[in-house]
Amino acid sequence: MSLVSGPGRGGMAGMPVEMQLFVDKHVSYIQSLDTRKDELEYWLTEHLRLNGLYWGLTALHLLGHAHALPRTGILDFVLSCLHESGGFGAAPGHDAHMLYTVSGVQILATLDAFGELEERVPGGRQKIGKFIAGLQDPETGTFAGDEWGEQDTRFLYGALNALSLMGLLELVDVEKAVQHVHSCANFDGGYGTSPGAESHSGQVFTCVGALTIAGRLDLVNQEKLGAWLSERQLKNGGLNGRPEKKEDVCYSWWVMSSMAMLGKLHWIDGDRLTRFILQCQDPELGGLADRPGDMVDVFHTVFGIAGLSLLKYPGLEEVDPV
Amino acid sequence: MASHGISRGAGPVVRSEEARQKELQQITAYRDLADLVSTKMAERQYTVQVLGQITKLLNENPEYYTIWNHRRRILIALVAEEAPRQSPDELLQGDLQLTFALLRKFPKCYWIWNHRNWLLREGEALMGAEAAYKLWSGELQLINKMLHADSRNFHAWGYRRFVVSQIERLTPSQHGGSQQSLAESEFEYTTKMIKTNLSNFSAWHNRSQLIPNILREREADPQTRRDFLGAELSLICEAINTDPFDQSIWFYHQYLLSILSPSCPPHQLVVQDLTNGERQGYYEHEMQYIREILEDEADCKWIYEALLGLAEAHMEVDAGTGSFTTKDMRAWLDELKRLDPLRRGRWEDLERRLSL
Ligand SMILES: [Zn+2]
Repeated sequence: MSLVSGPGRGGMAGMPVEMQLFVDKHVSYIQSLDTRKDELEYWLTEHLRLNGLYWGLTALHLLGHAHALPRTGILDFVLSCLHESGGFGAAPGHDAHMLYTVSGVQILATLDAFGELEERVPGGRQKIGKFIAGLQDPETGTFAGDEWGEQDTRFLYGALNALSLMGLLELVDVEKAVQHVHSCANFDGGYGTSPGAESHSGQVFTCVGALTIAGRLDLVNQEKLGAWLSERQLKNGGLNGRPEKKEDVCYSWWVMSSMAMLGKLHWIDGDRLTRFILQCQDPELGGLADRPGDMVDVFHTVFGIAGLSLLKYPGLEEVDPV
Repeated sequence: MASHGISRGAGPVVRSEEARQKELQQITAYRDLADLVSTKMAERQYTVQVLGQITKLLNENPEYYTIWNHRRRILIALVAEEAPRQSPDELLQGDLQLTFALLRKFPKCYWIWNHRNWLLREGEALMGAEAAYKLWSGELQLINKMLHADSRNFHAWGYRRFVVSQIERLTPSQHGGSQQSLAESEFEYTTKMIKTNLSNFSAWHNRSQLIPNILREREADPQTRRDFLGAELSLICEAINTDPFDQSIWFYHQYLLSILSPSCPPHQLVVQDLTNGERQGYYEHEMQYIREILEDEADCKWIYEALLGLAEAHMEVDAGTGSFTTKDMRAWLDELKRLDPLRRGRWEDLERRLSL
């Protein structure tokens, strides 16, 4: 997910209440996230700090409040997570891992800060690129998360995404990665974490995203996958992640961005989904939850808002489905 | 940070001063422990004491991935000591217990599954293939428990496939023959899971993955393969009859149709020498069966979708069929549009694709 230059902020005046996005509430919710140091939850989620920052920042960009978080502060924090190896950890003192390295690169790209990266860390871009490239399995083409060896198509997508943002795709064997993704395809058109694993919307997103970056969407069984994805929509308008599971706002992103990459967004009912996502807002304190009435968090906030952006909700910046 | 299914309650939460103080104490205790572990690790104090502190920290926060890494660093150091106080097996059993207890509480935490996987791979390197075989075999019990608690847990299903592949790799070969496969018993397991809950698509999916292996291992001849296909088709037809509104069932039905198709990749074929005449026979039989169900379930969109899918498959092998007409297809499509307005755009595209 990254931003493309889109239309400016539109007005939401005249919208019926159930169709309103509480932009200001969401902005203050995101701004409040780093001030909650008197809550145990803040400390228990330190392992997600860098991702959380990326999610919050992206949500703010989509809401048209790109500057609601201080740019220098963000940049300082991101670079304080960068290890000598070229990998990022979740927070200072946390080990380097693909998941946070991708978030680090995505934040730098969002802030257009690769120049500052080079100033502060000479050769930084190459270093990061090499860290990522070093995690590719030369035999299968897939990627590990870190030196401990867990492999998953999430890491493969993250690698290709970060490298393409840095213009360093040539550091890895893209063709081998593509073949690995292809070997994760199932008869239903979907993809799993590894060959033979059940199709899952999150994994579909990572695999279709990887193939989009590699320019190989021709390998996707688009009819079947489009059909499978469209069946994620339930009667209440929300989307689930697998057959016969419950709806959840975060799938608004995984499912819809995959459909957008396949040009099949019109295979679900956008109005019904918009209503479902809007019901998941906390109208008082801001933020979005997985389902109406649940606790909000920044993860569901960004994926809900990004979903609304794909649905062309008025006033939101346009999001890039990859 | 990503919470699921936790109710927000009514209105903003106002903490009492007492609760606030208590939370601040918890924060201090937690941060002290985390800082202590970080300091000890920076000092390379890879000791049993620090391992104990790490256990405590992981019980409070199993998502803290760096602490799992620290744990592995210490374990590696402890087994490499000149006079180890604990054998690799003792250390490993301790960690298997820890991860088991944590998985019961946090069944979807990637890092716990990941650590368990690492433990067993390390175990093989340290204790040899025979010990590893026993360890991996023991994992199936854990997985059965996890899937008993949540039959769709995709971590557990994924780990199951990996564990099975490791057991198969390590099974002592008998009479110099090739490695033993668990495909048959795994297949039976999917049958059991499906019989418990027809809606368990994870089990249906795994079943589809096992079928080609089973037939290869049985060295099934063309007739046996046809019988096998027939049995799967009657199983799924029975399931359709039981609950025609369950999409898991229909996806498995689609799978069976996909392996009938002339465009099915060779390694997934169940019957390798199907003739187009036979294909038509299967399609006609399915169509007839599903049309019968339609008489009781006229408002089930999956039935119309399946009929259109069958019609398309039929046309792939025979243009001039008598078992349905373009008029039928148009009527099915109209029903889809009526019953399933959420996916109207898809049905309109289908209308164009089939030139209806
Ligand atoms: Zn979610």
